[in-house]
Amino acid sequence: MTFSERSSQPYSRRQLLKSAAVGAATSIVGASRGRAAARGLTLIHESSFIKNFDAYFQNTLAPAYEKLTGIKVSYELASVGSLQTRVTTIAETGSGADLTLNFFNWPFLYDQKYLDVSDIAEEVGKQQGGWYEPAKEACVVNGKWKAIPFGNVGQLMNWRIDWFKEVGFDKFPDTWDELLEAGTKLKAKGRPFGFELGHGFGDNHGWIYPLLWSFGGHEVEADGKTIVLDSDETARAVDFARKFFKQTMLEDVLGWTDVNNNKAWLSEQISCTNNAESILWVAKRDFPDIAKVTGQAQNPKGAKGRFHTLNSWSHSIFSHTADPAAAKAFLKWLCDKPQLSAWYASAETYYQPFLHGYDDAPMWNVEPRNLPFRDALATAHLPGWPAPVSRAQSEVIAKYVVVDMFAKACGGASTKDVIATATAQLKQIYSQT
Amino acid sequence: MTTLASEPIAGRRPLAARDAISRWLDREAVFSWLMMALPLAFLFALVGYPLADGIFLSLENRPVAQAGTFVGLGNFIEDARDPVFWQVAANTVIYTTVATVLKMVGGLALALVINQQFRMKNLVRAALLLPFIVPTVLSTVAWMWILDPAFSPVNWALVHTGIANPGPSWLGNPILAMCSLIAINTWRGLPFYGITLLAGLQTIPAELNEAAMIDGAGNWTRFWYVTLPLLKPVILIVTVFSVIFTFADFQLVYVLTHGGPANATQLFATYAFDIAMNGGQLGRGASVALAMVPILALSIIGLTIYMRSRD
Repeated sequence: MTFSERSSQPYSRRQLLKSAAVGAATSIVGASRGRAAARGLTLIHESSFIKNFDAYFQNTLAPAYEKLTGIKVSYELASVGSLQTRVTTIAETGSGADLTLNFFNWPFLYDQKYLDVSDIAEEVGKQQGGWYEPAKEACVVNGKWKAIPFGNVGQLMNWRIDWFKEVGFDKFPDTWDELLEAGTKLKAKGRPFGFELGHGFGDNHGWIYPLLWSFGGHEVEADGKTIVLDSDETARAVDFARKFFKQTMLEDVLGWTDVNNNKAWLSEQISCTNNAESILWVAKRDFPDIAKVTGQAQNPKGAKGRFHTLNSWSHSIFSHTADPAAAKAFLKWLCDKPQLSAWYASAETYYQPFLHGYDDAPMWNVEPRNLPFRDALATAHLPGWPAPVSRAQSEVIAKYVVVDMFAKACGGASTKDVIATATAQLKQIYSQT
Repeated sequence: MTTLASEPIAGRRPLAARDAISRWLDREAVFSWLMMALPLAFLFALVGYPLADGIFLSLENRPVAQAGTFVGLGNFIEDARDPVFWQVAANTVIYTTVATVLKMVGGLALALVINQQFRMKNLVRAALLLPFIVPTVLSTVAWMWILDPAFSPVNWALVHTGIANPGPSWLGNPILAMCSLIAINTWRGLPFYGITLLAGLQTIPAELNEAAMIDGAGNWTRFWYVTLPLLKPVILIVTVFSVIFTFADFQLVYVLTHGGPANATQLFATYAFDIAMNGGQLGRGASVALAMVPILALSIIGLTIYMRSRD
């Protein structure tokens, strides 16, 4: 075959492979040129339970910032459950979004991949009434702000006002013992409680940690090293939980994840649970009759006080961002009062601001039943409290050490055994990190 | 061609060289490797590299978003000290063994039934594949409703026939939760067994069965001495695949129970994910994931030897 014959033939397999390789290479070069030329920022966020909230950013805030500065801000959404996987991938590879939303103690976990934003945090705090103390628990790492606190997605008590009234409770019980009494009466009437004790995302921690703390139990001392779970206080909390489970709840709660209590509430299977504002929100939208009799209250008190979990939502800037100054300027603009107050208001009070300047904001008047969420902020802490934020704390949550300690006791195991197992797990986890 | 004509000497040399390269490339040994290069590159990039990286990670104390420090087998030693790890190992072995046996027996029965002649045979065969085709997450959400004590049709039937009141807590009771997951995994995997074994059954020549019948063999004897031995290679392959898929199952558990209640349904894959992603301990997570490999390899080797030895 001569050269001319060969060239007049249709593409051979080899030529096809070669052309494909050249084409692919060209498109990669083209794409990277395109990226370099585009001027923009990307913020990765949870796909909010409140659709208005995401829509407000996409339709109002992002266009306003582009008009002001010419910088296009992309709002990339990830489901609540997959956001951490996305953030991990971005942090590990050093490519992807410029800014991110954080949950819980992520500013600590990804500390080395986040920019110091202390200047913004201090200025915003000064301008808007100062930060709630607990916000610092989740966002200040080694004396530096690694995230700007945004809001707390509080976990509080949801109760059926009408059914509680039927058993003699006109207002929500103030203590765990009174709640046990109400629950015992309600379960006898076929209206049990439903508090998650399974491996969910937040509805389990939302009442388990406050229960433990209100009885005086803790996992670790404030030094972050001494394991103190094995105590009389913890034993009393576990004994109470077992009784509370047996006398007030459905057996199924042991296997529940976060969807179950919402489903049970909206199908009128349960008379009390622990959840974010979303239960009332959905009830108002889809089940108005249930919404009318849905009350919200702070967690009950124990011998050592009243506590709540800190579900801190905050914003950070990845250190790999191409233009740190632009990313910081955007975050500062987003936290300025006109933008921030309007963004908060778009979700009513689903995200409870960590700034005292919003304590009496008009958004709290939209649904006065949400006010306990604001009042709970002062007594909110991260799981692991009073120990400072740590990697061990994340592992304890990921392994459901404390939740399972209570769940096993409710399932029939002895108090001594469950505390011993949990203590052994804690010792192992804290000794490694 | 004008270039070639005006510069005959300079042009012919590269042409000759090109022809030589072409001839070399056309040789079977060379070209076959060339054609395999791309799949091999894919295999290396998508399987080899992640596996090697996983092994490397498992030997490090490697918190997320931080540099790691080499700890040798430290993570594996920590795993061995973790009581939940052993619970997870036991759960995974029970889950895989029971589900695989159920799928094997059920799938074989299914294949034998649909290998018969009946009306709308093809439609039934296609419909049987549905559990396998529907995305796992979707079918799992449907199962979530089926197993919900308040909405479950199973519980409704149990309560209304007076068998149980209240109905069982399918996912709240540790033993029932594991049984439920095994049942769903079996439901999902049965069509794979059924259809693959059906393909195997159809390759068995009818003459063998006819000859056995003439010799006076009954149904059971023909199944035991003709069908089963000829089907064994297919059963082996399907079982190996099934063991691998079931052992590394993630979606079903993650969506339905997330390992609860109190780790009663926690498997290797979900536990590794929780430690690595939610706990931010990539090294520990990798070590839990890799702990699957020797058990899996041993069970597959054992299975293969057993099946071969009975030939």
